[in-house]
Amino acid sequence: MTLTFEEVSYKRDQFRFTANGIFEEGVHLVSGLVGSGKSTLAFIASGLVPPGAGSVHRMGIRKSLLSMQFPEHHTTGITLNDEIRSWGLDPEAILASTRLFTRGEQDVNALSRGELKRLHLGCVLSADADLLILDEPFSALDCREKRVICRRITERGYGTVIICTHEQTWLPPVDCIWEMKEGTLVSCGRVPAAIPRWSLAPRHIRDLLKRGLVPGNISPESVMEVACRTRE
Amino acid sequence: MIALSTIHHGVLNIPSLQIPPGSTAIIGPNGSGKTTLLKIIAGITSPHQGSVVIDGKSPAAINTGWLNEYPDRNLLFGTVSDEIASPLRFRHDPCPDVGGRVESVAQDAGVSHLLGRLTRDLSGGEKVLVSLATAMVTRPLVLVLDESDSHLDPVSSSTLSRLTRNSQALYVIWCTQDMEMATRADQVILLEGGFVTRSGTPQEVFSQLSGDCLYPLSWRLSC
Repeated sequence: MTLTFEEVSYKRDQFRFTANGIFEEGVHLVSGLVGSGKSTLAFIASGLVPPGAGSVHRMGIRKSLLSMQFPEHHTTGITLNDEIRSWGLDPEAILASTRLFTRGEQDVNALSRGELKRLHLGCVLSADADLLILDEPFSALDCREKRVICRRITERGYGTVIICTHEQTWLPPVDCIWEMKEGTLVSCGRVPAAIPRWSLAPRHIRDLLKRGLVPGNISPESVMEVACRTRE
Repeated sequence: MIALSTIHHGVLNIPSLQIPPGSTAIIGPNGSGKTTLLKIIAGITSPHQGSVVIDGKSPAAINTGWLNEYPDRNLLFGTVSDEIASPLRFRHDPCPDVGGRVESVAQDAGVSHLLGRLTRDLSGGEKVLVSLATAMVTRPLVLVLDESDSHLDPVSSSTLSRLTRNSQALYVIWCTQDMEMATRADQVILLEGGFVTRSGTPQEVFSQLSGDCLYPLSWRLSC
């Protein structure tokens, strides 16, 4: 399962997007400043927006799924049960996995934003997709839910997952790191070699790098492991 | 001082809470009542029971800037410049004053380059920064931000912090899921299940949460 951007470009008003790169099977992190083109990358990767030039190849990818930045942009059902059924999923199982147990007949709009995000991601991560593109999956979630999402991404164990995020703390172990820089996709490479090349690395990781310490991965556990090892 | 007394509204149950001037971070799990509390302080929601008084006045009598947690719900107008100008135009400020103030606040918020853009074409983070500029354009006494940092990169988050710190707002009250940001507040309030379970300085609150994922990672690493 490989997603390839070949000389892709896209233009909207003054904004220019360009991408060249291969997303192989595994978990990919894409970071970038506000307005740098992360969501554009997500839309083009999913096939919802065609590139202006170049091509996107999906080798071995039968089904792709984009989780948009704002969960409210996905809702089609009136109640939680309706919303879950619209994904072709069993409400009871999803409500249990998202700890929204008894709220199936409530209005989706009555959920807090974090709860809506939790419900949405519960559906997304239960759907069978070879290519999963998650645009800001951690926004609005509390730390417990962020840990759950990290664990579910890690346990998924198949396909290609692309995570576009500003999250600084609760990140899953990833295989590759990419950056969007003023509309251009830049590969930092495979982890852990990619970490010192990651210009937008979270501050705590940059602090470790300044001390000559390179964590094995970007998750809090990996960061703690390298930090604690030196204290012993 | 913002004084809340015997608040019962939805999940919220707050017998008494006093929020001093400064920067106050409200933290807590999803569904714990953070947005409800912010809406009550901002005067958007009247509590079913209880009262809120801000420097001796009702919230309705206070100039308050508000940022919704849903970025799209902050935006009413087609262009960024019209959006930022709207609170001034609604109160019939003279046009030359409006133009100057919009340019000034847009520059402070780092969104001058967006003034001619359509609001619908903005990225999520850009929408937040434009909405922040709009909320601040009238120089409110109270600034209430509902998880505004959740769509921002660290650079933009720093801009948001700097702007709110330098604003003329006496009270800046914001909820966040970024505990590193919360450590930079003057005071922190932890809401759980609608109740205030901890409040105080970041040191006082987080020192009691060392076994919880709420405890800032940077503090763990510096132990």
